[in-house]
Amino acid sequence: MDNWIVVMMLSVSLFLGAIGLFAFLWAIKSGQFDDEEKFLNAAKYDGVDELNDAVEKQKKKEQLKKEYKPE
Amino acid sequence: MKLSNKISCSHCHLEFDKSVMIEEGEHYFCCNGCQGVFHLLGDEGLESFYKKVGDVKLTPPTQQYEDSSNFNAPAFYDKFVKVDNDGFSNVSLIIEGIHCAACVWLNEKALHKMDGVIEVNINYTNNKATIVWVDKLVKLSEIIDMIRAIGYNAFPYDASIQERQANAQRRDYYLRMAVAIFASMNIMWIAIAQYAGYFTGITQDIKTILNIAEGILATPVLFYSGWIFFRGAYYSLKNKVVNMDLLVATGALLTYIYSIYITVSQDGEAYFDSVSMIITFVLIGKFLEVLSKKNAADTLDIISQNIPSEINVVKDGAIISCKLSDVKVGDVIVVSSGEKVLLDGEIIKGDGSFDESNLTGESEHIYKELGDSVISGTTSIDADIHFRASKDFEHSTLSNLVALLESAINKKPKIEQLANRLSEHFSTVILSFAFVTFGVWWIYTNDFETSFIIGISVIIIACPCALALATPVATLVGLGLGAKRGILFKEAAQLETMAKVDTLVLDKTGTITVGKPEVVKEKIFENFDKSLLFSLVKSSNHPVSIGILKYLKEEDKGLKEILFDQFSQIPAQGIQAKVKEYELLGGNLKLMTQNNLTIDYSSEHTLFYFVVNKKIVAIYELSDKIKDGAKELVHNLKSRGIQTVMLTGDNEKSAKKVAQEVAIDEFFYEQSPEEKANYISKLHKDGKKVVMVGDGVNDVLALARAEIGIVMGNGSDIAVDVGDVVLLNNSLKSLEDAFKISRTTFSLIKQNLTISLVYNAVTIPLAMAGHIIPLIAAISMSVSSLLVVGNSLRIKYKWIKN
Repeated sequence: MDNWIVVMMLSVSLFLGAIGLFAFLWAIKSGQFDDEEKFLNAAKYDGVDELNDAVEKQKKKEQLKKEYKPE
Repeated sequence: MKLSNKISCSHCHLEFDKSVMIEEGEHYFCCNGCQGVFHLLGDEGLESFYKKVGDVKLTPPTQQYEDSSNFNAPAFYDKFVKVDNDGFSNVSLIIEGIHCAACVWLNEKALHKMDGVIEVNINYTNNKATIVWVDKLVKLSEIIDMIRAIGYNAFPYDASIQERQANAQRRDYYLRMAVAIFASMNIMWIAIAQYAGYFTGITQDIKTILNIAEGILATPVLFYSGWIFFRGAYYSLKNKVVNMDLLVATGALLTYIYSIYITVSQDGEAYFDSVSMIITFVLIGKFLEVLSKKNAADTLDIISQNIPSEINVVKDGAIISCKLSDVKVGDVIVVSSGEKVLLDGEIIKGDGSFDESNLTGESEHIYKELGDSVISGTTSIDADIHFRASKDFEHSTLSNLVALLESAINKKPKIEQLANRLSEHFSTVILSFAFVTFGVWWIYTNDFETSFIIGISVIIIACPCALALATPVATLVGLGLGAKRGILFKEAAQLETMAKVDTLVLDKTGTITVGKPEVVKEKIFENFDKSLLFSLVKSSNHPVSIGILKYLKEEDKGLKEILFDQFSQIPAQGIQAKVKEYELLGGNLKLMTQNNLTIDYSSEHTLFYFVVNKKIVAIYELSDKIKDGAKELVHNLKSRGIQTVMLTGDNEKSAKKVAQEVAIDEFFYEQSPEEKANYISKLHKDGKKVVMVGDGVNDVLALARAEIGIVMGNGSDIAVDVGDVVLLNNSLKSLEDAFKISRTTFSLIKQNLTISLVYNAVTIPLAMAGHIIPLIAAISMSVSSLLVVGNSLRIKYKWIKN
């Protein structure tokens, strides 16, 4: 019985750690750490305006992609 | 602020006297450029930029730009604009004038507002931007115009394949290291339980559970993070050389297999912790090396980008722009003031002075007129000329120079690093020791299992961590020491190379001397209003004028600028101006004789005559001052066994003077860039290892060819790109520091290697005798690495003592 507790504790903690690791790997792959200065300053540009901008940017991007995508 | 009557510009925040500012309500502007940008941002609804930017000072947008429609030329699009899979245009730009995160915000925001721009991504750290847009809606020129309009400048660059590869490689290492460090950290706390159990007793069941957990964690470390070593080992076998990778790969793999066997057989100690630690440590060491590697190919890219691809040619009476490579011998080319001459030829119209310092190192501008030949690579200072091309671009002096530089960079001598040479032997010795141990034990005990385990333990105990960390950690400390003193080593390996150097070659102008003429003596014949002279020299950019201006400013801070009624520059002679009742003339002796003015005065220095109403009222003697500490540098290096040589493009007289003053015995004068480079090659032939120190374009070839090229931080951009070491504060003291740092670092590397070898010499016999218990293996792992790291940190204390 004791052994199973050890197994459970090990597997749960390693699983949680692995989730963190994969999130970090994903962040590296998607280039979030490429520009350390921008990364550190990100908190300054995290207001409502910026969110609205981001949504509009996305909309504009999709619209342009739809309209001008060559067949 | 109020006291000094200075006020800061509403846009760029630079402070100026209130009287010279443009006033507009509550706002003040230092120039029209700032005013324009301020209003533009207001109109576009981007005022919040000023809230974000705070008090950061910006560059005022005063520069005049050439027509941006050049950017729409097909030749330009061919070179820089790429069309991606979605059919959108992509360009990489370098944006000038970015000072803070708010600048990035402003640029991204302003560009996003434009129709057709899909994506803007500006990297704050290196000011590089990638922009994606729909070419049907907006042209590149409009994008660049927008960046210019908001007070920045942008120019395209060709994001080279090498650069992209280097970035990809770095990211790859990050991923592998993240996995390795995560797994090692977790294995460590499981291992603590293991070791605690070793001493206090542990049931075999728990031990197996812990072993399995460690095994699961060690697997991705070995096969994902450690993939680099397997690849390296494969290539080393293919090329029949033994390297460190082979040792690491075999050691880790054998330990891993052995540990699995132990786990399954449920008897003995598994070493999964060693597997992941070895891989992690050596991977970090390798990453440190990759991180500080400079790419020669990138340097070349930057150089060829400095050459415009288009040129103005006269055809059928009209001036048209034409691809550089399409110009034929005999075509007539137009060069206006400030432009670079890109082809060789003969002047058929116009005159003016040229800056030939790129090619000759001669700091004086050279006056050329009808019939004189112009050389590619030089820059027109004030000349608007037409010239007939005598060579096409491929055969021009400029492309010759680029080709020479290319070969010099590619053939740069590399001194093999001590650790690399050592690890080759080390790996061979360890692998054969392990094999012999296994053989001997098998013969004597006839027990395959025990012999195999002992053979493997030799490889495990000969943990290459310390050896792999010896060089990177030491150089990292060295690089840090350098950076604090304004010495930038571009590649870690250069520290070791520089420590082995025995010859120092110095350029004169800008390296030993300040490079700018300064007033050493003032001779006044008749009193005059200094403001007149102040205003006169302020209107010229000639080095002599700048030197006098600096002198006047230091002498009297209250001088005011007077506006002239009439002003003109006389090429290669001086300046003249008229204001109220004064007729002013300032320049060299030639200007005096032309105006029939004579005076009995001679000096070894450069002379500047100042004339008011046809009377010489003052003479200024200017000379290029020798930098502080030049003599001490030469003397100290001599005592360290480094021979110093001076090369200069200047004439014999000034070369001799400087050489005598700083006590350099060997010097060469009137050296062309090629001759300088050839001299370095000659030194190489004599078996010397050379450091070249320079600052100008004319030193670039020599800098590239020397083992180490050191550049002054205020040197020309190309020189800074080509150089291996940059001295940011331009002082000769830091040159000496650079030598000191490199030598200290190298001795540190040697110590570290000795430590790890001695360590192995003690533990390997133990392993061969079969006395290795898990405790020793574990301690050996970390202690050897800690010793090396600790020893490297010692350098700082050592430095303080010096």
